[in-house]
Amino acid sequence: MLGRILEFSQMLRQNGVRVSVSENMDAVRALELLGIADRTLFKSALRASLVKRSIDVEPFNRLFDLYFLGQGQSSRASEQELMARLGLSPEQFEKMLEQIQEFLRRMDGEVSPLTRALLAGELAQVERMMFEAAEGELGEMTQWARGAGFIDQMAARFMLASIREEIEKFKMALARAGAEPRLSEKISEYAEQRFRELMRLAQRLLQRELQKKEAAVPGQRRSDDLSQKSFAYYTEDDIRRMSEVVTRLARRFKNLLSLRRRKARRGRLAVSATFRKNLQYGGVPFRIQLERRRKEKPQVVVLCDISDSVLNASRFMLQFVYSIQDLYTKVRSFVFVSDIGEVTRLFEEHELGQAVEMALRGDVIDVYSHSNFGRAFELFHRNHISAVTGKTTFVIIGDGRNNYNRANEWVIREIRQKAKQLIWLNPESRLTWGYGDSEMPRYAPYCDLVEECRNIEQLYKVIDRIAA
Amino acid sequence: MFQSVDEVIERLAGENYICNREVGTVVYLAAAMRKPILVEGPAGVGKTELGKVLAAALKLDLIRLQCYEGLDEAKALYEWEYAKQLLYTQILKDKIGEIVKGAQSLQAAVDLISQQDDVFFSDRFLLARPLLRAILAPQPTVLLIDEVDKSDTEFEAFLLEVLSDFQVSVPELGTLKARHVPLVVLTSNNSREVSDALKRRCLHLYLDFPDPKRELEIVRLKVPEADANLAAEVVQLLHRLRRLDLKKRPSISEALDWVKALTLLNIKNLDDRLVAETMSTLMKYEADIRKAQEELAEYLRVRKAKEPSGAGTSDKDLLH
Repeated sequence: MLGRILEFSQMLRQNGVRVSVSENMDAVRALELLGIADRTLFKSALRASLVKRSIDVEPFNRLFDLYFLGQGQSSRASEQELMARLGLSPEQFEKMLEQIQEFLRRMDGEVSPLTRALLAGELAQVERMMFEAAEGELGEMTQWARGAGFIDQMAARFMLASIREEIEKFKMALARAGAEPRLSEKISEYAEQRFRELMRLAQRLLQRELQKKEAAVPGQRRSDDLSQKSFAYYTEDDIRRMSEVVTRLARRFKNLLSLRRRKARRGRLAVSATFRKNLQYGGVPFRIQLERRRKEKPQVVVLCDISDSVLNASRFMLQFVYSIQDLYTKVRSFVFVSDIGEVTRLFEEHELGQAVEMALRGDVIDVYSHSNFGRAFELFHRNHISAVTGKTTFVIIGDGRNNYNRANEWVIREIRQKAKQLIWLNPESRLTWGYGDSEMPRYAPYCDLVEECRNIEQLYKVIDRIAA
Repeated sequence: MFQSVDEVIERLAGENYICNREVGTVVYLAAAMRKPILVEGPAGVGKTELGKVLAAALKLDLIRLQCYEGLDEAKALYEWEYAKQLLYTQILKDKIGEIVKGAQSLQAAVDLISQQDDVFFSDRFLLARPLLRAILAPQPTVLLIDEVDKSDTEFEAFLLEVLSDFQVSVPELGTLKARHVPLVVLTSNNSREVSDALKRRCLHLYLDFPDPKRELEIVRLKVPEADANLAAEVVQLLHRLRRLDLKKRPSISEALDWVKALTLLNIKNLDDRLVAETMSTLMKYEADIRKAQEELAEYLRVRKAKEPSGAGTSDKDLLH
């Protein structure tokens, strides 16, 4: 059993689930306590000790089914099917099995253990034997086995031919022994069915082996690990699942800021206040009074590019902006392509999914024009520059692809002068900045922080840097 | 503590906590292997409750540590009561004067005082916080560390040390070792991923919303006065609601509140006009409530289509 557990956890590891040695030891100890008789207990014990992240539960369940066979169930189901097919009641079926076993005993030495187990209906036994045979020989199984030679391969592997022969022999022996025709007919049909089952079993086993091999290919990483996936490759479904992550990110953003405030407040000793407070203790500095800082409410202005080229990224970023706006009172959000429009109200009045869709659909600005950062910035300067004050953190989200229009970087420079800090998040790879119509080199010098922000992990880091 | 998984389930049920076999298994293993349990899952599925109930079922003391951002060792482990120390020295001024009376020099006086160190740094002035209390407890305890994901990573690292050895060193007193390893339950709401190192030391339990059958059991158990028919319908509706894209999915505790509210208003049937109005006990966001009301209407429509004869009776109920 130990070997099986180790192999299983190896398989988990190959599928991106982190399993440590100590966790393996826990699993083994847990099984010592619980035994392995009860399947659900067995599974719960393994799950509790090996799998610690909720996203790993799904792969665990899949691999568990793959690896540990559902032996009991399959044989019980097939038995019922057989009874129905032969038109026998459970008692009659039982009786027939006894007779078959009787014959088998008489044929001692002529049939292999596998055939014997198969005819006696001990499917679990059969499965185990085949599994062992497969362990030894299937190790070398390769890709081509799935092609045309699949059935032949399988037949050869499990020596189906010789089993077939043995069954024929069994039927002949039955006839020789002079069993009554009706019974022998039933029994031979029964044997046929069992053989077919064996074929199915072999096929399943092979497929499972191949799947296991496939599951073990390290290149196939789990796709639901979203944190490293680039926004550009997000599917609709991914984005929907994002909302939870985004709110979490936004909350972290806020917590980091407020934590810093709290820590800063602790810092300085207010001498006069301390003296005054400690007069009641005879001047012994008993209660320390620290200077209290004025609470600074951060103001944030966000400009988000929603042109086609960054559509997925902006969909995500708008969710992020929405969440930030939820947490702070003083946030103003704008979207732009060539025009620029404010979405603060829109975000306040509608719920997340709807608001983002409305912003992207063109309810605020024309989204089908070509992106023109220069024009958008100029318009912002003309209409909204008053939103920027000395307390403002100004965030621009966009790829800086300006379609060779005028860059108008003077707006950025002016904003930088007025604002507390200016941050540019670019959903494009840093390597491509400055090529083609990308104007990043022109804008970047005026920003306090320019970060590539292509996936959640990077956004996470950016947030830490902004708040640090 | 427990002899078998079934016993766990039974004894938790004795404390009005219904759990499935998986929960039972993990609890049994944790008790037998003396490992902490890390419970994760959506809000309101009974994570904290598990810790409390466990203490009650085992008849042990419960020590609870609520985590939050900025929680540090002083709040979690121990603190010296400086104020008390200072107060004592003030009151005992004369006594201290006596001790240092014979001293010829400052050095000698300090030496004399330092001989009395033990008096000032003793248990007397040590303010034990939850973790230290769990370690020093004369009887085994259940230690509930709630919302561990809310704490900072530094604190988590510190927790790691405590959870693996169950001993802490107080520089002035030396190392304090736990007399009994407490049964530890950590809960996490997943507001941040708890570190792998901590997870490795725990048995992991993912508590999800229960299936309808079990949830019905819970409702019947916790609100026994509720109408049986109503409870069944509420549970069915809840499962539909949880599948919606909501800001916050209705939890078990909110569902219980709702059933209580409906029972108080003497409502027997979900097509009552009042039902939609009481939904604010179940949902906490305006948008969610709206969606839930739509879903309720849809649910009632489907149900009515299934049993057209039942339509007349509900109107009669309204009159009473």
